[in-house]
Amino acid sequence: MSSIDPEVQDRTKLLDTEIESALNPIEVDGFYRDTRECAALALLGGGGKLLLAPPTPRPKKG
Amino acid sequence: MDQSGPTTRLSDAVRDLAAQVVSALRSGGHSPVGGAFPPSTGDDEITVAAVRVLGADTLLPDALSFRPADPAAVALVARAVRAFPPGASPAPTTAWSHWAMAGALRRLAPGSAEPGGSGEPGGATAEPDTAWLEYAPWPVLTHQLAVLAALAVPGCDSGIARVAAARPVDVARGFVRAVRRRDWLQAAGAGRWLTLLDGVPDTLGLGTGLEFVGLMGGTDPRVVLHLRAAGLLRTGVPV
Repeated sequence: MSSIDPEVQDRTKLLDTEIESALNPIEVDGFYRDTRECAALALLGGGGKLLLAPPTPRPKKG
Repeated sequence: MDQSGPTTRLSDAVRDLAAQVVSALRSGGHSPVGGAFPPSTGDDEITVAAVRVLGADTLLPDALSFRPADPAAVALVARAVRAFPPGASPAPTTAWSHWAMAGALRRLAPGSAEPGGSGEPGGATAEPDTAWLEYAPWPVLTHQLAVLAALAVPGCDSGIARVAAARPVDVARGFVRAVRRRDWLQAAGAGRWLTLLDGVPDTLGLGTGLEFVGLMGGTDPRVVLHLRAAGLLRTGVPV
């Protein structure tokens, strides 16, 4: 017969779920066209230091 | 009375722990992470859970300084490995983060390894599978690598590191995507991986990109932790 407090057991299960969620996060939604970000990107990009576009996609195999 | 739920308390504890690791990294590893435990939660169970979430990065100052690990931090990581093992069919990132913690214990504190059972700290040597990641589209690859950025440390060979090493351009592409989506945690994690990879395009501007991520996302200690790790890897940590 288990002597574990049901409240403690429930809390631990909840914690397990939270840990699992933290270890397997879904990707957060992106935010675009932020003025502050664009300004900073322009400053950095103006010096040719930051790539502003992804690399050209490679042709698909097959 | 504390009315906050476990989600908030765990998130806060993870951030507190990450901030402590950052502090230890900034001090050159002379300020042991474990010295400040337990963190502000004052809740032992939450603290151990936070260590499980932050994973092997709890021992990052020791991993990067290549000196004997702090016993308090080692004890906490060992407790977290024991207390929160992967389930019967764990998600890949859960299995890999657990493997990374056990591996860190093996490398940094061999004495903590207990012979026998795979559930014991330092005892689990078999690598989890990587098939789920090898052919993943580049956005998925980058997201998953960022989640597992604790594996991006010198001297830590793993299947995940080999997958990353085989796809540097895809990781670079994912880094740019994360920056443009303003996902600073993913960008920092991907940037940390990129510092370890060969074949990263020079046109990426990784150094400036990481600086930008710090500028925009530097209020999150988890972001700062990855950036600090990346900075140390780029500028002279012995490998």
